[in-house]
Amino acid sequence: MTILFVLIPVALCLGVVGLLVFFWTMRSGQYDDLSGDAERILFDEDTPLIQRSNDGRQAPEQDRPQP
Amino acid sequence: MIANLTLEDRGAALLINAIGMAIGMVMILVGLGDLFAVHGLLVLGFCGGLFLLVARNLNAPVPGPERLASYYDDPTRVGVLLSLMWGVVGMAMGTWVAALLAWPDLRFDGAWSSFGRLRPVHTAGVIFGFGGNALIATSFHIMQRTCRARMPGQFAPWFVLLGFNLFCLVAASGYLLGITQSKEYAEPEWYADIWLVVVWIAYFVLYIRTLARRAEPHIYVANWYYLAFILVMAVLHIVNNLAMPASFAGVKSYSAFAGVQDAMTQWWYGHNAVAFFLTSGFLGMLYYFLPKRAERPIYSYRLSILSFWGITFFYIWVGSHHLLYTALPLWVQTLGVTFSIMLLVPSWASAGNALMTLNGAWNKVRDDATLRFMMVAVVFYGLSTFEGSFMSLRPVNSLSHYTDWTIGHVHSGAMGWVAMISFGSIYALTPLLWRRETMYSWKAVEWHFWLALAGTVIYVFAMWNGGLTQGLMWRTYAEGGTLRYTFIESLVAMHGYYIARAFGGLLFVIGAMIALWNVVMTIRRVPVREPERDYPTTSTALEPAVPVMPAE
Amino acid sequence: MRADVCVDERGTGSIRFSVANLRCGGCVATVEHALRERADVAAARVNLTLRQLVITLPQPDTDLVPIVDSMAALGFPVTTVASTGLSEVAGGAPAGAGMGNSLIRALAVAGFGAANIMALSVGSWAGADGATRTTFHWLSAVIAVPVVLYAGRPFFSSAWSALRSRRLNMDVPIALAVGLTLLLSLFETISGGEHVFYDAAVTLLFFLLAGRTLDHLMRDRARSAVTGLERMMPRGAHVRQADGSFVWAAIDTVQPGAAIAIEPGARIPVDCTISEGITDIDRALVTGEPMSVAAGPGDTLEAGTLNLTGTIVARVLRPAGQSFLAQIIAMQGAAETGRGRYVRIADRVARLYAPFVHIAALMTFLGWLLLTDGDWRRALFVAISVLIITCPCALGLAVPVAHVVAAGRLLRMGVLMKDGSALERLAEIDSAAFDKTGTLTTGSPIIGSAAMGAADRAGAMALARASGHPAAKAIARYLNCEPDTIVDAQEVPGNGIEARIGGRRARLGRAAWVGEVATVPADMEGPVFGFEGQVATAFALSETLRPGAVQVVEALRSGGVPVSILSGDGATRVDQIAALLDIADAVPDASPADKIAWLERRRSEGRHVLMVGDGLNDAPALAAAHVSMAPASASDAGRTAADFILLRERLEGIAQAWWISRRTAGIVRQNFAAAFGYNVVTIPLAVAGMVTPLMAALAMSASSIVVVANALRLNGVSEQNGSGR
Repeated sequence: MTILFVLIPVALCLGVVGLLVFFWTMRSGQYDDLSGDAERILFDEDTPLIQRSNDGRQAPEQDRPQP
Repeated sequence: MIANLTLEDRGAALLINAIGMAIGMVMILVGLGDLFAVHGLLVLGFCGGLFLLVARNLNAPVPGPERLASYYDDPTRVGVLLSLMWGVVGMAMGTWVAALLAWPDLRFDGAWSSFGRLRPVHTAGVIFGFGGNALIATSFHIMQRTCRARMPGQFAPWFVLLGFNLFCLVAASGYLLGITQSKEYAEPEWYADIWLVVVWIAYFVLYIRTLARRAEPHIYVANWYYLAFILVMAVLHIVNNLAMPASFAGVKSYSAFAGVQDAMTQWWYGHNAVAFFLTSGFLGMLYYFLPKRAERPIYSYRLSILSFWGITFFYIWVGSHHLLYTALPLWVQTLGVTFSIMLLVPSWASAGNALMTLNGAWNKVRDDATLRFMMVAVVFYGLSTFEGSFMSLRPVNSLSHYTDWTIGHVHSGAMGWVAMISFGSIYALTPLLWRRETMYSWKAVEWHFWLALAGTVIYVFAMWNGGLTQGLMWRTYAEGGTLRYTFIESLVAMHGYYIARAFGGLLFVIGAMIALWNVVMTIRRVPVREPERDYPTTSTALEPAVPVMPAE
Repeated sequence: MRADVCVDERGTGSIRFSVANLRCGGCVATVEHALRERADVAAARVNLTLRQLVITLPQPDTDLVPIVDSMAALGFPVTTVASTGLSEVAGGAPAGAGMGNSLIRALAVAGFGAANIMALSVGSWAGADGATRTTFHWLSAVIAVPVVLYAGRPFFSSAWSALRSRRLNMDVPIALAVGLTLLLSLFETISGGEHVFYDAAVTLLFFLLAGRTLDHLMRDRARSAVTGLERMMPRGAHVRQADGSFVWAAIDTVQPGAAIAIEPGARIPVDCTISEGITDIDRALVTGEPMSVAAGPGDTLEAGTLNLTGTIVARVLRPAGQSFLAQIIAMQGAAETGRGRYVRIADRVARLYAPFVHIAALMTFLGWLLLTDGDWRRALFVAISVLIITCPCALGLAVPVAHVVAAGRLLRMGVLMKDGSALERLAEIDSAAFDKTGTLTTGSPIIGSAAMGAADRAGAMALARASGHPAAKAIARYLNCEPDTIVDAQEVPGNGIEARIGGRRARLGRAAWVGEVATVPADMEGPVFGFEGQVATAFALSETLRPGAVQVVEALRSGGVPVSILSGDGATRVDQIAALLDIADAVPDASPADKIAWLERRRSEGRHVLMVGDGLNDAPALAAAHVSMAPASASDAGRTAADFILLRERLEGIAQAWWISRRTAGIVRQNFAAAFGYNVVTIPLAVAGMVTPLMAALAMSASSIVVVANALRLNGVSEQNGSGR
């Protein structure tokens, strides 16, 4: 089954990507408030949140078509 | 709709469509005398049509910056409609091929209408056309809402949605023309595959960019399911479709792998397509719309995250259970079986989690057909994942393999789970998207629900019974050790079941047509909802909108 | 409050509040939406699990008082939480819970490794042979070595430090088993052998880490109550200099006699006497009493109390180390060491078990070496099997899984558990002691009687609604009528509220202050309302039994647990409540030291006492008791010191938690029995060499799953005691 030596590494790589993503989610505090996050979607308003803080994430000039 | 595009968006649309038209022209020129030219014509027509649409509205008013204070829902709306249209076409095709098995004369002697050409139109039509468009549309909706952020641009979502539909059109028309690489659920030829990779990468980039702009720090679990769907499908699609075109001016290509190696790759892809296209993505839909509609948070959010990781891992090695009793080495088969059994744990965890969410909202399930669609979807999800694990056991598989039981299993998943959750989500989504008070007719939703449920149950039971009959007839020996029944006898025994199946399918497609009619009427007839002032929301869609059943 | 603002590198400030009223997603949306509308809030994020709110301020020196007031007006009164410390005590993992996160990361890596190696093993086990198998072995090795090195660190380092101090702990056999299995498998891989056991090594690690992580999550929530209290204290004060300006000085350098300025919203840093200004003081930390008291020049303030309304200047009475609060902290520290002697069941079991495992494995190795004439590979294989079979996976899971499930169940019942061992201790109680004020009775004031006319009612209602004072709110709740229209409303800190109604001045507040404008009879007590020049009327405040108190006392008593009252309040009021609840043993006028002495006496009699209390005066007693609980409305000190916090208003949670704890103890015993039963069956087989390491790993996984499944039964048991919802 030589094909497995293609498929297994592909699956392993995907697994490693998953593991790294999991590490990132832990580091960025994705699991800090699970009960709150489950509730939150029930109360989202129908408009995006324009942030006032100066981190620039929501700056309007980012609304550009992809090149 | 064009009026919502900025000048840059319109420019990009014209440019991309011009490139598409050029590619279509080249395909026609180099492929003259081959079916390649026909697909060139299709590409030319598709891009040309879009080019004209944009060009004729080039001077339409330009949207102001106030658009940034709302979500971009135009592609979602078109996606919902496309999904329903593909659903009607794909399901009608399915009913036709089901009828063909009962009454073979129904093909009217056309080459294009042979069973082998119509069936992939049915499978691709419902999986990619109906399911894929539903996934793309709902993912656009969910990623914006859960991120509390607008998509980064207005062009990319159109590129993804329409590009994907071009792929679907090329695929479906190709099947009728006889263009296929004969890999189940991966029939389109090399050029369509390459195009899908381009579209898919744009989809992934769009998703990641929206996540990067999110104003809500937490990434809701539905997004993880959608991301796994996008990322893993890309990898699977690329590996399985590694092929060498016989000529770059023709449709034919040859797979990079041969024999049982190719079969293994195909089912590694095939079952993971079930996992990441037909399960993961739709679970994302479930984890958003079910809590929204039931107005209750998911029963255990922690469990939904754990089962995500469980499902993504266990599914990867399940595929070889499609190749039990074949030339595949026994140990690879056993590997697939082992993982199929283990897969039951995270699958049932998800199903149980969803049902427990409804616990305490059963009155809503009783009153609201939309929520009932979702509930039934979860039940069928639980049933068909159990059935899948069960059928992968070698003794069971020796009976079920190659019989119509397999078809029954697939359709309990496809009709019961995938279609039901999609319809439920579309009914939940439509009033929100078009800012309508309710669906045009809740009675029609009710009709659709019962038609769909009856159709599914009739279909699945016909195939269960038919499959068992087939399997038992094939393994019955006469006293002398010869087979008791000829193959044709087992086929004759199936006739009644095939008629029942076609009938079940007919009910289901009627339901889908009602859904399309209901959505169109909702858009055309139901007044736009005025925001109410009696409870605190600034939502113009007044989410969540659980319908109040009108008094009969 | 100002001292709790954290300033980040971008120059924005952030502050963490505890919001007890947060119950559902709706509250989250309301709070966040309201705060987002404010110009003086850059961002607001609620954490529903911790019931906390983090507000990011546009500038570090943004005035917090209007924000806090607007929250209170919304119905979500907030209290500040020191940005480190208390958040961890309140349960849940804070952002950087280092140890817990590194365990989860190790668990994820082990899970990834175990699953992939298992896939490869199933392949070889199902018949892959020849070159394929060799490749699989190498592939497994490539995955296993880094996974073991990363995920095994907690065990290796613990075993190493134990060995260095010439002790044995449970991690020594684990480290030996994992390490030897890995090395032997590598040896076999290199020499082209048939059997490798990477799967056993990594699966073992996975299950052990699962138990360890759960255990850690349960254990780590319990932080010393003392450090929690200390962290709540201001670390400095504004001290008046010779030139009249105020300069921030560290708390240790503040001398008696110095003048310090205290702004509204700040905690009083040291015991002091007010020299200028009037204000309201929240003494909840000290007394557990939620009603604020008025204070003016000449009044003495205790360190730890909260200045609510006015800026004051005060003269320091004694150094920070000698304040009332400091004495409480010291007392509590002493009381906690007593409880520290408690050894958890799992540790007691492990102490007995570890030597046995080593001896069994060593004897097996030597025995096989002798029997097989020095076939060390065979002997080592068998010894490794014994180590894996005896590996305490199921033992390690037996307790924490049951505790985690019980904690989840308790949380759904509205009881927050801070420490796994608290459940064990709660199951052992044979008597209970309750504080009175704020525990058996509700802290919020209820109007007992008020005889007044319609005009007075409407006027009082209008004034009460305009004030933020807890007593005023209680009055408004009680009157519940149409308010008059008022103009020129003005809150006078420490006295009450004044406004004009139909041209007349009206006051609601302290009797003496209202007496300045209206006629107040001499014996009138409590809040008084009066129009200018007219006879005033009084509101009487009384306390009521907390809902569920009767049922809980009854449930405890019928379960064979006698109930006592330990209160700092006077004999009349204590006896009144004791009579209502039919409690014979009531101790009035008990100081914190008296409470500890009472508990110590019980302890020396061999009793295990459950203490339920709320105020700062209860905190040492909460720490000294065998196990303790505090209602959600308790002072921060009380909440910090208690093992359990009741999140709901009602007291039934106490009986439910007690019942769950006994169920959990039963499940834990069953789990130990199952784990031992499994060992009794498998160890002889392993010693006899009839078990391969893979079989050992599978058997071990199976026993772990049995233990987990058994613990999950805790979720299913029906509630017998009290009503859940």
